[in-house]
Amino acid sequence: MIELPRNQLPPQADLRIKILGLGGAGANALDRIQLDGANSDELVAINTDTQALTGSVAPHKVQLGAGLTRGLGAGGDPELGYRAAEESADEIRAAIGHANVVFMCVGLGGGTGSGAAPLVASCARDQEALVVVFATMPFSFEGKRRMSQAEESLATLQQSADVVICFENDRMAESVSPRAPIQEAFSVSDQTISQSVRAISSLLRRRGLLHVGFDEIVTALRQQNPRCLFGYGEAEGDHSAHQALERALKSPLMDRGRMLADVQNVLIQVAGGPQLTLNEVQILMEEFNRHISDTTRVLFGAAIDPQLGNRLAVTILSSLDADGAVHSPVVRGAVSHPAPARHIPAERPAVEEPLRVPDSMDFPPQDLLEEALPAETFSDAELPVPQPERPIVSRPVGAPVRPAPRPTAAEVVAAKRETRQEQMQFEPVTRGRFEKSEPTIVDGQDLDVPTFLRRNVRPK
Amino acid sequence: MASEDIVVGLEIGTSKVCAVVGETRRDGTVKILGVGQAPSRGVRKGEIVDFDTAGKCVREALADAEEKSDVMIRSVFLAVTGGHTESFNNRGSVNIPEDREEICEDDFEDVQAAAREVSIPPANMFLHSILQHYYVDGQDGVLNPVGMMGRKLEADFHIVHGVGTRIKNSVRCVKELDIEVEDVVFAPLAAAQVVLDLNQKNLGALVIDIGGGTTGYVVYVDGAIKQSGCLAVGGDHVTNDISLGLRIPMARAERLKVEEGSVILGQSVPGEVLVLKDETGFAGREIEREMLNTIIHCRIREAFELLKRQTDEANYLPFLGAGVLLTGGCSMLQGIDQLAEEVFGLPVHLTHAHTVSGVTSAFENPQFSTAIGLIKYAQAMQGDKPRGWFSRIRRKLPFFGVW
Repeated sequence: MIELPRNQLPPQADLRIKILGLGGAGANALDRIQLDGANSDELVAINTDTQALTGSVAPHKVQLGAGLTRGLGAGGDPELGYRAAEESADEIRAAIGHANVVFMCVGLGGGTGSGAAPLVASCARDQEALVVVFATMPFSFEGKRRMSQAEESLATLQQSADVVICFENDRMAESVSPRAPIQEAFSVSDQTISQSVRAISSLLRRRGLLHVGFDEIVTALRQQNPRCLFGYGEAEGDHSAHQALERALKSPLMDRGRMLADVQNVLIQVAGGPQLTLNEVQILMEEFNRHISDTTRVLFGAAIDPQLGNRLAVTILSSLDADGAVHSPVVRGAVSHPAPARHIPAERPAVEEPLRVPDSMDFPPQDLLEEALPAETFSDAELPVPQPERPIVSRPVGAPVRPAPRPTAAEVVAAKRETRQEQMQFEPVTRGRFEKSEPTIVDGQDLDVPTFLRRNVRPK
Repeated sequence: MASEDIVVGLEIGTSKVCAVVGETRRDGTVKILGVGQAPSRGVRKGEIVDFDTAGKCVREALADAEEKSDVMIRSVFLAVTGGHTESFNNRGSVNIPEDREEICEDDFEDVQAAAREVSIPPANMFLHSILQHYYVDGQDGVLNPVGMMGRKLEADFHIVHGVGTRIKNSVRCVKELDIEVEDVVFAPLAAAQVVLDLNQKNLGALVIDIGGGTTGYVVYVDGAIKQSGCLAVGGDHVTNDISLGLRIPMARAERLKVEEGSVILGQSVPGEVLVLKDETGFAGREIEREMLNTIIHCRIREAFELLKRQTDEANYLPFLGAGVLLTGGCSMLQGIDQLAEEVFGLPVHLTHAHTVSGVTSAFENPQFSTAIGLIKYAQAMQGDKPRGWFSRIRRKLPFFGVW
């Protein structure tokens, strides 16, 4: 589905961004972001460990729990991390200031990251900011304990942040050659985070011909247990459209586009300099469409960014359910209830369909800030300050979640329709007599599927 | 005729099982006595998927070969292939012990063992390690180092390995018929033995054996094998594509491919249609010739492009003086040499086994290249007729002098 272009562009100038790096891994990511040329006023390092804080390049630093940990780390204990953050909640709020978009980079699994992240996220939300969390999951060799701490923290974060983009270190390491030195393996995740922070902030900042708003980002990433697919590529020259897409698909979290076939929603933004031609966008989208299934909804954005010059940049964002099964999109945060999954059927009653459909037709100009403000006031009343005695690991019951962006209900309906359409597919991709044999995969292509189908050569 | 001079090559292919009975002569020539074949079932992409059915086909083919050649078959050389096979080059090196300076035959085995000391996946087994070049004390271009003085002997080997269980499956399939398997040979290597002569090997050549289920290739540069491999795409895929694209049964698609198919685009009159003859009460279907050719073209072109990329990565293309040689059943597709020329940018020849004599109809058919190649391979392996020191080495190190 391609959204109609919206001409009434809201002023984007008052987009005030803060990038928080929480804990050790967060600080590393922040260093990388700084190296990649972010505006340093926006960076804030938050940690319990003074030594690590001193090493950080961020101009603003917040020490958590100065009284509690006395400048040492949280020692891998999320409880301690949580209490430390609580002690310094005011300082966190002061550091966030008047930002209306907060990016938080955090490595889950340790003490400070896992413990403090949910609290920092809700602090930011108190300040009426939109919160995007970039979380890295620990390597599986770090042990099951860390993994379960990370998972619990992630579950809590998903309730308290607007968007959680989750990177699995294990998967990112797959993209590193086994002979690469260990620093390289570790820096891959920092690089990816930095790239995605940049990509998402420019998604929000760029003047869209076809605007991509925060609501689209939320839609693309909405999944119960998201495994994020993120790709970013830039290229210039004659084949920039082809190359930029290829690079985006080669990003570590993209799996060369193989996973794209299974996703339900995918956001793609094409940005170029003033010379961006329709033809380039067409070529790119045609090629991109080969990687996705016919029922995937494409949230497409195009933007002109004079900074890009004659380069062309492609950002792809989507999510899959981590369990592999692709769930129908859950309307995250539409209603506050403890177990959203169980309420899905109630969420989209058939009666509502005809009423809601027109909503999507005159889709209102999206200003993410305008969208967020009234929502915020509504949810503020319900937003409980996390109780100190409540163990961090539990999911907050009656989670403080804001009403979903407006188009959600209509989108769910649309998604549902598309699922229905799938059964009527006329030419399913088929392997014929090789159906049951071991597939021959070269470069992500299943060679058993007829070449002319894969290359979209369709003579009559 | 001494029985050890009779050799049987067996290839369990995707489209046919074929057994070639040949006679290896003392002067190094090979004479084909008879060819037995049976349509193959239970084999997909070069690998056995239905053990019992494949076994029956092998029995049929061997019986056919026995009848035609009037030879009782007791043992065979077996060709194996499949997408699981991989290859790489590695150098082995041994230091000659302090107490002697002369390089002797035993050092060859040591150097070969040293070259095999590389990690391959645990499930894989070595198929071949083929000698490329010797180096004595780092000196290049030594053809035969036996008797030379030196402190260090090094040798480059081309090593082919594949998944052990799959190779053993093919072997077991034959052994169940109470027939010995003397050796297993990677199919493209066997095919290369008969389509290339010594001169072409020295000039450098790429042999592409396009079979039913797989496409094997071997790169020769300076007389030595530099690269080999197998892409699990073959004629079966073309047939499958036609069947899916035109929505006709597989058997019909196969005949259409053989009788009418071509890989050259833009040669048919626009709108030219083929009418399928009504055989099963099914009304005659009209099929546009250009579409049929487009489907075939796409598939074959892709296969060539994948092969080109692999040889390109190792940068062997500029060294292929003798160009590209196409063989295998699928090389009979019309216009395939033109397409290959276009993709590789090298002269392309369609070939078959031409370094043998005997039943002409057999060796002039590119389908039998691999099976006949096995006989040539076997001849190189035998070396049971002492002919001075050279063949003694051969016995020790069977691949020497042949590859």
